[in-house]
Amino acid sequence: MAAGLAAQRALANVPVPYNWDAMPPADSAKTYIGWMQANRGEDPVYLAEHWKRYRVLVDNKDLKDDRNKRAFLMTPREKFVRPGNLPRAYANAFLDIGYGVTISGPHLVGRMTTSIDVQKGEKVLEIGTGSGYQSAYLSNLTDKVWTIEIIKPLAERTRQTYDELIAAGYSEYKAITSKNADGYYGWEEAAPFDKIIVTCGIDHVPPPLLQQLKDGGIMVIPVGPPGAQHVLKVTKQKAADGTITVARSDIYNGRIVPFVPFTALSGDTIKGTHNGGQ
Amino acid sequence: MTSGDSAALTTDGRIPLPAYLAVGLVAGSVIALQICIMRIFAVGNWVHFGSLVVSLALLGFGLTSAVMCAGKDWFERHWRGVAATALLLFGPLMVAANLIAQQIPFNAIFLISDPRQKWLLLANFLLYFLPFLAGALFIGTVLLRSRKAFARVYFADLVGSGLCGFSVLGAMYLLPPENLIAAPLALWAIGAWLWFVAQHDRRATLLLGIATLLAFGGHFLAPDWLGMPKLATSDYKGVAYARKFPDMSRVYHDISPFGELELYSSSYLHFAPGLSDNAAFNLPEMPANAYWGMYIDGDGPIGVMRSLPEAQTAYFRFLPMHYPYVLKPQADTFVAQFAGGISTVVALRSGARSVTVAEANPAIRDAFQNHQELRAFTGDLLHDPKVKVIGYDGRLYLAGTGNHYDVIDLSLADSAGLSNPGGFAIVEKYGYTEEAMRTYMRALKAGGILSVTLWNKEDPPKSVLRLYATMVFAARQVDTTNPENAFYAISTYLSTTTVLYKRGGFSPGEIAKLRDTTKGLSFDEVYYPGMEFDGSGADALLAEYHAQIFGDGKPQDDASGADAADPTLDNAGDDTAPQVLPAIAMGRLAWHSLIFGGWDELAQRYVFDIHPLTNDRPYFAAYEKASDLPRITDRLELFQDDWGYLLLWATLGVATAVSLVLILLPVLLGWRSIFSHNPGKLGTIVYFACLGLGYIMVEVGLIAKFIEALGNATVSAAVLITGMLVFSGIGSFASERFLDRSRRVMPMIFVAIGLLLIGYGTLIDPVLDWVGALPYGARLLLSILLLAPPTFLMGFPMPTAMTTLGRLGKDHMFLWAWGINGCFSVIGAALVPIVATTFGLSAVLAIAGAAYLLALPSFFAVLLPRSPRPA
Repeated sequence: MAAGLAAQRALANVPVPYNWDAMPPADSAKTYIGWMQANRGEDPVYLAEHWKRYRVLVDNKDLKDDRNKRAFLMTPREKFVRPGNLPRAYANAFLDIGYGVTISGPHLVGRMTTSIDVQKGEKVLEIGTGSGYQSAYLSNLTDKVWTIEIIKPLAERTRQTYDELIAAGYSEYKAITSKNADGYYGWEEAAPFDKIIVTCGIDHVPPPLLQQLKDGGIMVIPVGPPGAQHVLKVTKQKAADGTITVARSDIYNGRIVPFVPFTALSGDTIKGTHNGGQ
Repeated sequence: MTSGDSAALTTDGRIPLPAYLAVGLVAGSVIALQICIMRIFAVGNWVHFGSLVVSLALLGFGLTSAVMCAGKDWFERHWRGVAATALLLFGPLMVAANLIAQQIPFNAIFLISDPRQKWLLLANFLLYFLPFLAGALFIGTVLLRSRKAFARVYFADLVGSGLCGFSVLGAMYLLPPENLIAAPLALWAIGAWLWFVAQHDRRATLLLGIATLLAFGGHFLAPDWLGMPKLATSDYKGVAYARKFPDMSRVYHDISPFGELELYSSSYLHFAPGLSDNAAFNLPEMPANAYWGMYIDGDGPIGVMRSLPEAQTAYFRFLPMHYPYVLKPQADTFVAQFAGGISTVVALRSGARSVTVAEANPAIRDAFQNHQELRAFTGDLLHDPKVKVIGYDGRLYLAGTGNHYDVIDLSLADSAGLSNPGGFAIVEKYGYTEEAMRTYMRALKAGGILSVTLWNKEDPPKSVLRLYATMVFAARQVDTTNPENAFYAISTYLSTTTVLYKRGGFSPGEIAKLRDTTKGLSFDEVYYPGMEFDGSGADALLAEYHAQIFGDGKPQDDASGADAADPTLDNAGDDTAPQVLPAIAMGRLAWHSLIFGGWDELAQRYVFDIHPLTNDRPYFAAYEKASDLPRITDRLELFQDDWGYLLLWATLGVATAVSLVLILLPVLLGWRSIFSHNPGKLGTIVYFACLGLGYIMVEVGLIAKFIEALGNATVSAAVLITGMLVFSGIGSFASERFLDRSRRVMPMIFVAIGLLLIGYGTLIDPVLDWVGALPYGARLLLSILLLAPPTFLMGFPMPTAMTTLGRLGKDHMFLWAWGINGCFSVIGAALVPIVATTFGLSAVLAIAGAAYLLALPSFFAVLLPRSPRPA
């Protein structure tokens, strides 16, 4: 990747106000980069990497519907990674963001968010704000996002990132309400939620979160080491007699889906990159 | 300084006592430094990276040998100066290397995904390599100088290493891990002082004083001045999270060889492993501030249960460890491992008449029994009149007692539960082996229930399948009738699995009761007597799991050419989705084949190695089949939970490559010139390679094996390192008497060592089980006595051959042989866990025995005299 990539993270002002109906062109790198420069004022060097990663995610079926494709294309990952990791912002790897927390790889974010099928207007709660990237992505799917971070300095840092981005014109992030608290207890004042994403380690599904999930709602929780996480999907259902049941599954609805090795777009072809190079 | 007149070491074998002591202490300091680095990595990062770094750093001995071999004459002339310089640098280098290494942001979990991390790991290795190089240079120089009296110096080397290694374990009671380096520093300082006193070298003694001040000051003062951590704890260790909670308070801290034990209080800690999701809709709320987090060497948390009023413990009924009490409400219970006390509390709250609880870690027992605040928090659990505490492993107690129990509980032992990225070391789990299960099963009263709960966070499942197989294999030997009616097994997807075994079998009424419980908890049944089984999907399931891991990564609907229903979308109308999750179906398939036949074929076809655990292979690790290893290199991230095992292959590969270079370097430099008058080169290589490999394999293999009787890895390491090195040192000393008769005596010794080791591998298991049931003092004594026969004899071959090389004037061969021995020690240390997990610990001892037998014919190559120089 270009050496100059790491050097800059300046926040350019977004030239065109956010529009829910605006869809960046996805037919070629050139049109995508051109549109994003014109409408979002983003750095073409990152946009080129953004485009390459997008192509790989679509090829791997991590992004399938137009809403998630749009959300991925509209969310600048480079704004949420640490300066030292800027050259690898779009690598298909989890990255350190400090405090013992990682930003998940784009593959996992795309796959997991696609699986919960967030609709505009739905209320989504995220437990574990971390870098803020997941909520930023969600704010392109719905205008009601709540996120809780347990580590105070991280919560403050990410809130500052949101505020700076909002000030620069990323008005979609106004949909994100954040706080520093123990996510185990959820966000009772804002409950119930249609979808809940839990991104921190737990040895059981917190009962308060299940209570704050709407009937028919879905919760997803990555389980296992970061490199090979399984995503647990918990669905809450209410029977006609009022009985509530919870079904556990994975995000593939019980199908065995091949693990996808790290890949990258090279020219026009997608190639394995031998354990997560760029 | 030049050689000149030698006062301390003479070629006629007269060596003053302080010089012997110096060699012993400096060799001991090298061992102490190894233990120290392992502790630093265990607490700050992950222990198996410490093993990797230490293993490779010990190649310093190989490099020293190669360099000394190439420049032997120079080293002969300047031996005194070289020894003094190496010695003066050894201590300061320890401190400097450690301090700098602690500033390097190496993070194991990013090893694959972040290209920089491998260079940071290399930097760690290179830094820690430096002090070992200095230590090796000193010892190598001394050995070269005293080559004609090698046996005695070697005796000092071995006995010093053994005793100093033991002393470091004592130091662990006094020094926290970040200051444990003071132990090798002290040994070095005293050893070096004795050396210079023996040399009558006042200038060097003065310099040593400065070096000692630099070293101790560098460690104890400089970090504070410079704001540098002496031990950097990874942000990804469990304890690092607890330290960030705003209301965190450390309520207990203890250091000992059994680990750094810390307890934290915080309202942010939540602990209910395997809790049913249904608890959310059947309980008013979970109790708040109900747990403390216990961390051992920074790993955890293990939940410590607060004493709560009965109304707040209603959630216990939703935990998997409650199962046996559904059928046995007033049980005499045995808890195989106390840990944080959850099983004990659940038993008492479930109405148990008595609870006998085993906890092998004395640090945990001490905390719960004697710390006032902890006693108050837990309601003085271990002094409850219903509770009896056993101070060692549950399986060892049950093997030796005549007591029988209604319920025996083994729940989530040795496991913190939360994901521990990068921290999956290969650990002997003797509590989960077939032999242990048989012991538990036999200790049940008629109709008693054994309840085993294990984490179930893998898909494809791995460890749970090993558990199922282990329990069924054990049951077949305890009760010769069909175990069809004796088991009931449930699991929760990506949470826990629980297996119940009932001695005598479950009645239909009991099964109905258990099934009702399971339904109420929404857990999945994987086996019950009479369960219907549809095996039609087995072939597809096995094939799909294989393709999932080793396929080309293409989504399945690509293969069919159709963009079928989106597998990632929640599509209620998707009738192609299976009714049963693959992991549950795999559990059922495993149980069916275990009970009704076909297990061997299933295990052979399954994507991972799922053999049962035995005392010979007691590991929940090394799931990759050997034949699959070449295929995992481009997808290592998928095996992150087995990196401890895969790192061993990396260590072995690197150690072998570097060793070959170091061994061949002198050959390339001087095969014709240096070695031209030394016949029997190939035999000499084989001989010393066999000794290096054989000795370390016995040492590392027996440390793992003796945990079976001693119940604790630290104690086992202490007993084994000390016992082996001291007995071998005595053997080395005794070998001098037989030097002139070595041609006749050594073959007998090799045969005796070979047979003893192979015999130990085959027969020691029942002996260790028997020893393990005795009082602790007797266990220690008998363990040490058991070591004596082979390890005393193993002290003979090295000094006999080295002294012979020295006396024959084969000086280059002498140095080279020492290096070969050192290099193969590194290779052997990495090889042991690989052989143990693949073939078993008995195979480790058998290979070591074979190595000593192979050394026998090669010994005669060592005896060949130098050929005369051409005129």
